[in-house]
Amino acid sequence: MSEVVGIDLGTTNSLVAYVTDGVPIVIRDRSGDALVPSVVSVAEDGTVHVGREAQRRLLTEARRTAYSVKRFMGKGREDVQDEARHFPFRISGEAGGVVRIGLGDREFTPPEISAFILRELKRRAEEHFAANRRGAGAPGEDNVVDRAVITVPAYFNDAQRTATRDAGRIAGLEVLRIINEPTAASLAYGLDKRHTGVIAVYDLGGGTFDISILRVEDGVFQVLSTNGDTHLGGDDIDVLLIQRVLAEQGGSPSPEQVQEIRKAAIQAKWDLSDREETTLNGRRFTRAELEALIKPIVDRTLAPCRQALADAGLQPSEIDEVVLVGGSTRIPLVRRKVEELFGKTPHSELNPDEVVALGAAVQADILITGNRDMLLLDVTPLSLGIETMGGVMSKIILRNSTIPATGGEMFTTAVDNQTSVDIHVLQGERELVADNRSLARFKLRGIPPMPAGMPRVQVQFQIDANGILSVTAREERTEVEQTIEVKPSYGLTDEQVEQMLLDSFEHAEADFAARLLIEARNEAENVIMHTEKTLRSPELAEIEQTELSAAERQRIESVLAGLKMVLNANDRETIQKWTHALNDATRHLAEVMMNRSVQAALSGKNVDDV
Amino acid sequence: MADLEQRYRALSRQFHPDYFYNAPPAERRASLEKSSYLNDAYRALKNPASRVEYLLQLEGLAAKDAQEASKQVPPALLEEVFALNEELDEVRELRAGGAADAEWKPRLERARAPIEAKRADHERQLQALSTAWDASVDRDAADDERRRIMESLRDRFLERNYITNLLAGIERELNS
Repeated sequence: MSEVVGIDLGTTNSLVAYVTDGVPIVIRDRSGDALVPSVVSVAEDGTVHVGREAQRRLLTEARRTAYSVKRFMGKGREDVQDEARHFPFRISGEAGGVVRIGLGDREFTPPEISAFILRELKRRAEEHFAANRRGAGAPGEDNVVDRAVITVPAYFNDAQRTATRDAGRIAGLEVLRIINEPTAASLAYGLDKRHTGVIAVYDLGGGTFDISILRVEDGVFQVLSTNGDTHLGGDDIDVLLIQRVLAEQGGSPSPEQVQEIRKAAIQAKWDLSDREETTLNGRRFTRAELEALIKPIVDRTLAPCRQALADAGLQPSEIDEVVLVGGSTRIPLVRRKVEELFGKTPHSELNPDEVVALGAAVQADILITGNRDMLLLDVTPLSLGIETMGGVMSKIILRNSTIPATGGEMFTTAVDNQTSVDIHVLQGERELVADNRSLARFKLRGIPPMPAGMPRVQVQFQIDANGILSVTAREERTEVEQTIEVKPSYGLTDEQVEQMLLDSFEHAEADFAARLLIEARNEAENVIMHTEKTLRSPELAEIEQTELSAAERQRIESVLAGLKMVLNANDRETIQKWTHALNDATRHLAEVMMNRSVQAALSGKNVDDV
Repeated sequence: MADLEQRYRALSRQFHPDYFYNAPPAERRASLEKSSYLNDAYRALKNPASRVEYLLQLEGLAAKDAQEASKQVPPALLEEVFALNEELDEVRELRAGGAADAEWKPRLERARAPIEAKRADHERQLQALSTAWDASVDRDAADDERRRIMESLRDRFLERNYITNLLAGIERELNS
């Protein structure tokens, strides 16, 4: 059995953790270091360096080295115009398209750069498992890490989440789930304390800020509200310090010199978390000076906190515990401000750099084992809607709705015999379309020709447990399912992601095909096993009396036999075709079985008995 | 409410997609649909206002009428609305003339107090009527009695929405 891990893919540092014997632990290198700097450098000969080595190369090959790439995930060229000048690497991309990062003579999308980091973490984890196995005297086991939960800032929008999932896929990982960083942290904190109460998680990292308010009861971690700023963090403090030094020095330093200054600025910032004074640019620099400089940044975290409290319908005094997450919460001014706002001393028993990865590992374990002791109920951070007349956004799923969530909207046509309608999907809280994030535009096609206003096209929006949107539509008068082509505004298409995976040097094309065949077979075996189990179930006899026709049962059995026959053929497409057919054949039965368990639960039986 | 929360958690534990990761796609899809439906239902019932709205819809006192009605001033609020509008007009005039915050802000705060009180009063009435409704359902009360409760529920609900809008108007003026 391959291993599963939880990954915190951070702006500044990334790390990986896993659960063993019910306890999450982070994976460290030989020197005991858990953090992999989120830095990628491409050498002149094409070699890709990740982590500490790449970080060193910032000082010698700044133009070939990318950092803080998380800030560019899911962004368009226009979004990053202003801050591009702070970075030594080239930032380009077509107008209206996804950002591209140039390192030497090569160009990468942000998910590809992130994939290098993920691959490094995957390699690190595989080495760790291999070493453990050798120690335990069980060599030859499968140490492959191919499944992971990856965390994102709670306030990440759909495009940023999708970009993160794409990065996982490009790195050859099956992304079990995208979960929110503050929620993951609460999971790690809640492990040893089975308490009930309301927790606020204040997460100030390298590039992003999140505040989440959760109620914990019976092992259910229910997010009440979340807010934040995906462009606010330690990086912004660093930029202020660098600008200050540059202003003092004058002249026009090389990118490498700027990186030297950046390194010194970060060191000075760290120093002042423990000490009252240090030196920067050859002169005395005090904590009071730092605090005066960064106060506006810290203050920007307070409005999202107040909004999250208001959305949860709570007063600061109703928060039982405050948890600090993210390296920037080591700054004394941040701690003071949080304490002032909530009126209580925040918790920081767990390492704020590691707690998110620990929580991700716990969630990965829940997904794989199906252990029901703990459950995360998260929310969507931003309202989802569509463009209506006059460039106004009409909201369909409101922010802080628990996910999964659905919402629907009815569309019709404006002219006779119109067969398609354009739909523009948006995310955000503002009134006007232009002020919100454009997620996708798509065309509803295949509407039967009818007089204007007659068609009734029901468009259904579904946000899944990853916080990622999908859209389906059907015309209600004719029951015609619509074809929807969703063109992500700032994302990659499935084909592009597959191509990137193919291009990645770790996967020769043949390996990739073999891997896809194995995946298809596993999926087929899984479906066969569940179908057979259902057919043997004692409940089935009862269902056959009422809700399952003989023809339906026969169809299930014949498709099942068909799938078993093709299972060992080396033909992925045929296996997938039959797997889909069996899924379709059993869909109704699965729903019936599930409805019965709902009724059992509602009629007051203990759900654990079902 | 405690019962709602508890059932919601129990049902979430049963259907959440987290527990169906290894299940075949048909079950995964069913779990996604069920838990979305559960979350949507919980959202409608958790908030007292949306719960009343849902109840009104169930009982056929549909939202369409409510929307039309919300454009008119509810008769019970005529006096307050009149006084408030007068105050708002005067404040706007003062501000247009460049008056300092201290000259107009306290006036608005004073104008807000009775409306806040009215809202609190309405929340209480809605609560009481909801309880009365539940009781009337439990003991199978006569149709006309239930109808009476439902109609007062609707009237108070529309008034409450109107009051919420009034307060939002004051808030806007204070923050602009």
